[in-house]
Amino acid sequence: MARITARKLIKRYGAVQAVHGIDFDIADGEFVAILGPSGCGKSSTMRMIAGLETISDGDILFDGKPVNDIRARDRNVAMSFENYALYAPITVYENIAFPLRSSGMDESEIDKQVRSVADKMELTAILGLKPGALSSGQAQRVGLARALVRKPAVFLLDEPISHLDTRQRYRMRRFIKSIHQEFRHTMIYVTHDQEEALALADRVMVMSDGEIQQLATPDEVYSRPANAFVAGFVGEPPINFLDFQSDGDRAIIIEGNRIMLSDHHVSRLAEIGTKGVAAVRPHFLSLGENSTVKFLGIGFITEELQDHNEIFVDIGKTRVSLITPPNQRVKRGEAVSISINPEHLLLFPTQ
Amino acid sequence: MYSFVNVHKRYGLRTVALRKLNLDIRQREFFVLYGPAGAGKSTILNLIAGTTKPTSGDLLRNGHSIVHLPPERRGAAMAFENYALYSHLSVAENLAFPLRAQGIVKAEVEERVRKIASVLGIGHVLERRPGFLSGGQRQRVALGRAIIRPADIYLLDEPIGHLDAKLRHKMRAELKALAEDMHATVLFTTTSNKEALALGDRVGVLNSGRLEQVGTPHELYHKPANTFVGSFIGDPPMSFISVSVEVDQGNCKLRTADGRIIGRMDTPPPTNATLKLGIRPNAITLSDTEMPETIPGRIDVIEHLGHSKIAVISAGKDNISVSLPAASPARIGDKVWMAVNSSGYHVFANETAIQRGIN
Repeated sequence: MARITARKLIKRYGAVQAVHGIDFDIADGEFVAILGPSGCGKSSTMRMIAGLETISDGDILFDGKPVNDIRARDRNVAMSFENYALYAPITVYENIAFPLRSSGMDESEIDKQVRSVADKMELTAILGLKPGALSSGQAQRVGLARALVRKPAVFLLDEPISHLDTRQRYRMRRFIKSIHQEFRHTMIYVTHDQEEALALADRVMVMSDGEIQQLATPDEVYSRPANAFVAGFVGEPPINFLDFQSDGDRAIIIEGNRIMLSDHHVSRLAEIGTKGVAAVRPHFLSLGENSTVKFLGIGFITEELQDHNEIFVDIGKTRVSLITPPNQRVKRGEAVSISINPEHLLLFPTQ
Repeated sequence: MYSFVNVHKRYGLRTVALRKLNLDIRQREFFVLYGPAGAGKSTILNLIAGTTKPTSGDLLRNGHSIVHLPPERRGAAMAFENYALYSHLSVAENLAFPLRAQGIVKAEVEERVRKIASVLGIGHVLERRPGFLSGGQRQRVALGRAIIRPADIYLLDEPIGHLDAKLRHKMRAELKALAEDMHATVLFTTTSNKEALALGDRVGVLNSGRLEQVGTPHELYHKPANTFVGSFIGDPPMSFISVSVEVDQGNCKLRTADGRIIGRMDTPPPTNATLKLGIRPNAITLSDTEMPETIPGRIDVIEHLGHSKIAVISAGKDNISVSLPAASPARIGDKVWMAVNSSGYHVFANETAIQRGIN
């Protein structure tokens, strides 16, 4: 178990700086997801924690002690990759036993440990198979089991389930979550998939352009995003952005519609200035004139999705999407009203 | 209309890609093939394109066999998953290629290239070569090159699967609108539940080379033919629990392994059948005290999904997923009682759906 701290952590590749002096503190036993698009610095950050990349500047500390100069194998960190690199010529059992054998554990203890982890990962029935005979979900569970059996202090997962189908992803998420609840490792999960990050983590570290944009609970990054990047990256369907201009210090204008702001928005507007973007989740828009604030729009497409519809409407030159009950539809080119409760607007400076 | 008649497809001696496929793709429909990797989706596209031949069975276009026709006479335009762009040509020239091959005049070619590039959001990279594009941009060029010319059918193999989530969301709507405008017949493959439901006029669910069910998204979600379709359509997925039936004066009670009544049906199921209940995560109401016809459980996992949460509840040997509002106070470790809404579950006998009657 370990608390992980980064101080002014920098990663450079030649002249290019990938991580720009970030600071964070991950508690012992905490589950943190590092979330961001490709190239945001999330994998570099994780690889520096694992010891697979040198630290260009700054420090990483485990339980307060710098580990910059400690080799990867001596950090007691386990890592599971998307390409789970199992040893093809040997059985699942031997794959899981491999890290234990190389640590010189005796045979009966190895057997006990392998069977225990295999039971938890539902691998008991396939211990005798070789990797070539496994489904991708099974192969991933073997990869996780092999990483787990070493009882690491820190467990790092790099996009381990991104290519699985919906059912397999839910199933793997349950495994990962139950592993964490049982072993209480410090766990760091790197992903570009916001749903995985929200579903699994105690806290989500959203990264972009080598900087931490926000480090907070799933509920906070979703409900109170720190900036427009976080608002746009977290949430499915994606949040809608509409440009606004201020109209005095208590109102904004969006596509010609004047919207009076409540008190907490007024102080926010004062920070932002005369122009910015207003963001609103598709769940907080509705079709029809059932609120004081409404927009006129032109219908584009209706998608029928299991127990609700998602409707796309053009408000001026901005296309927005809204979630509606399954009986509501718009036709192509149809004039419609869209209502919004101004309380649900999030205001940000223009990016 | 394209029709598959008893089509089998084997690769080599052992790999069966398709088993006895019977399927009609109707004129002007957006048909989605949905299934896990290796289900046979791409094979179906390749059979229509003529890049592979059926091992047995026939493939018809408007009633006439096209099995013997070369690819260029099949009337199909295909966007390949691996893009297959011309690396020495610019994006604009790649897009124009199928039009030039048809001898369309220059001004019209330019107009159509400009329009399709604008719809796909690649208008600003028209002069670049494919090597200087991101993966997502290359994928959109490949899609554009497939749909720029008239074709009897457009074969789109996971054409937006490699885009990031935001762009995929946007392109989904654009593609649907474009297909409507073009009155196009489209055959589209995906591994995404959401894409399948959002795009398909009809969806075919494939599993290991077998077509499990064909229907509208509404039919597949509300009337899954078997447990595979039940589990594969819907996000979060359906939960399954084993039940037994007790016939009592024509009224059948469904009981869980520990004897609790969880549902009812009018018609008795086949005798000796293994019965499962498939329950949608939004069909369960939780309470913190015992009520009639509820089952007890414990919350093992809570997942945040932004606007909602999912609780995974263990009840005996079963694990059941339940959707909750984001503001729900439920916590891991809570003991809860689950009531299954009468309209929200499906009964399967030996993995096949059976009617419950009016109950």
